[in-house]
Amino acid sequence: MEKHTAANADAFGIDGAAVAEDALPQKKQKKPINQQKLQDNLWGWIFCLPLIVGTIWFVFICLVAALLLSFTDYSILRGSMFGYLAEMGDHIMHASDGTADPFYWYKTIFDYNYDGMNTYIELAAPYKMNAMGAYLFNTVFYMIGIPIGMILSMFFAVCMTRDIPGANVFRVIYYFPCVASTVSIVYTFKLMFSPTGVINQLFGIDGTDGGNAFVWLQISGNPPNTWNMLTEQEVDSAFMADPFWCQGIISKLVIIIMSVWKGLGGTIILYIAGLSGVNAATKEAAQIDGANGWQIFWKVTMPDLYPTIFYNIVTAVIGGMQIYMEPVLLLGESPLTSGYVSHIYRYGLQGGNPTPSRGAAYGMVLAVMIIIMTLFQFYLDSKNKD
Amino acid sequence: MSNEVNNSVAPEEEKQYSSFRYGLGAFLAFFGISSATHRASKKRKKLVGDIACYIVLLFGAFLMVYPFWWMVAGAFADTSSMGSSTAILNELVWWPSLSTFDEGYQYGPFNNYVVVLTNAFDLIQTGFTFWRALLNNLIYSIVPVVVGVITSASAAFSFAKINWYGRDIVFFILLAAIMVPGPSIMTAQYSMYNALDWQENGLVLIIPGLFGSIMTAFFIRQFLFGLPTSIIEAAKIDGAGYFRIFCGFILPLAMPAIMAQGLLSFMGCWNNYMGSFIMIPNYSPAINLPHALALLDGSGAGPYASNYAVVIAGSVLCVLPVMILFACFQKTIISSLMLTGSKE
Repeated sequence: MEKHTAANADAFGIDGAAVAEDALPQKKQKKPINQQKLQDNLWGWIFCLPLIVGTIWFVFICLVAALLLSFTDYSILRGSMFGYLAEMGDHIMHASDGTADPFYWYKTIFDYNYDGMNTYIELAAPYKMNAMGAYLFNTVFYMIGIPIGMILSMFFAVCMTRDIPGANVFRVIYYFPCVASTVSIVYTFKLMFSPTGVINQLFGIDGTDGGNAFVWLQISGNPPNTWNMLTEQEVDSAFMADPFWCQGIISKLVIIIMSVWKGLGGTIILYIAGLSGVNAATKEAAQIDGANGWQIFWKVTMPDLYPTIFYNIVTAVIGGMQIYMEPVLLLGESPLTSGYVSHIYRYGLQGGNPTPSRGAAYGMVLAVMIIIMTLFQFYLDSKNKD
Repeated sequence: MSNEVNNSVAPEEEKQYSSFRYGLGAFLAFFGISSATHRASKKRKKLVGDIACYIVLLFGAFLMVYPFWWMVAGAFADTSSMGSSTAILNELVWWPSLSTFDEGYQYGPFNNYVVVLTNAFDLIQTGFTFWRALLNNLIYSIVPVVVGVITSASAAFSFAKINWYGRDIVFFILLAAIMVPGPSIMTAQYSMYNALDWQENGLVLIIPGLFGSIMTAFFIRQFLFGLPTSIIEAAKIDGAGYFRIFCGFILPLAMPAIMAQGLLSFMGCWNNYMGSFIMIPNYSPAINLPHALALLDGSGAGPYASNYAVVIAGSVLCVLPVMILFACFQKTIISSLMLTGSKE
């Protein structure tokens, strides 16, 4: 019995010792690992903290605030935004008859006559147009520049990737306009496109002849409509004189020319990077098999370049939806030429007592439009891959 | 073998071509285009292609550079003889018909520049000078960029090389923040800055930049993925903490990427007209240089709307610093942009 227990105890003792021996080194190993993990977590968060704080503060809080503001009747003179949002329940936007209507601002976007807010632009006599529609039309119109810029920059990039000396110099020269300040560029273009300016001289147009001068940068006044001058069409009715999409169309072309000119260098560099990543072996194989340069470009280079093109188009569309400065600086703020952001600025931040709540609602609509357009592009992309 | 076939076939077919067609073939072959009668040599083909490329690229380069030349020439347009330089500027092609070189100006040929530097900005705000606008611009583009690039680099380091709990989720959240379009939250930001009272003193263009930018952090992170982790492991074994690793290894090693991103964001901040225009009121002395220049014209209603040569001289002064900076660091900047393009 004793023996047995002793043996047992012995056995236990040995077992216990074995367990202890097993456990000790494990503990020794575990401790440093834990400390390492702690260090990793601590320093990882510390290094990332400024960026996280900045993003949350200046993007996410502002996003939530914008969403909440868009349901209220906040205007700058009503004091601090935070205090106002804290008691948001009392400040829900209400219609002129006093009934609460949180979606009031959203309704004014789509219905220009909603509650007598009159967000329309006057066309010839009986016709009115929703201001948002006009601004959005301009924004989309300026996107004509995107395919033009894509093709031009692709063309120049292909030229620059040829094995010629001095290609790097061209790369730098073409990037100059991207670096320059938009304000300076706009003033230069404004004068270059004046009635007697360089461009009219180039085309041999006499700008001093008042009635027949080809006016690039004019959206109203006399002559009222450059489009009619271009087509020399007979004007029958008042409405035909000014279809809204014709008004200032030549001025819009100048803005497209300017933005293409300014954005070319950046896209060229992205395309050059994409082109240098194209598989040279495949190219050579195609060449040996007798494909000509055109076939190689479309069948070998283009598929390899597809991700770059897709990236460029997505960013260009997102950027194009946010066009603001160029039309405003060149032509002044006008529903006939300004982009959608002008709509936000005009109703949200202009005047002595601006109503950011209204601008926030318009901004939310812009965000939704951009998200839908981006998702649509990704959908097309996924369909293309199948 | 193929040569033989060609030789045997060619004389028979040659007779079918008229002498005109034959001559045309020779002509085309001279310019590197193969046709039925003549085959152009590969060397010639390449030479002609190169020359065509040069012509196209030179034409494009001319279009890119011409407006800048126009700007420089326009800054010398005569301001006083007609009371307005805009008529002269309107007709400017290569050199103004009446330039400041022609007559004895008080300040010599650089009269327009002197006007901008001394008293032009006084007309938009009493007491406001070009130097104040320049100082504002320097503050807005140096302070946030230097601090912001370092905070971005530290975030990039933590994303690329440290394995911490919640990293992927935080990364995803930051990625989502890029998708938020600026104009959508513009009015809420305006209200917030208004509540914080950052607008009239220009803090609005400084403080948000100090926290770093997500895009900059992503690009530096891409660069850091290319660095071997073994350096950090070795430093850790030698007893260096993460802070020392960051200051001693990551910052010097990632310098090319940090420099390029810093320069790019410097240029962005220097040209940030929209930020100043939206957030800072016109009457504040904290407006930046592009904003002040825009006020000189004021959409045709400003003090210099009829005397554009002065505005153009100001534009040259606004473009020049970034141009010089870009010319000096073009290699760093372009190679960084290329890296962005290839990594996408």
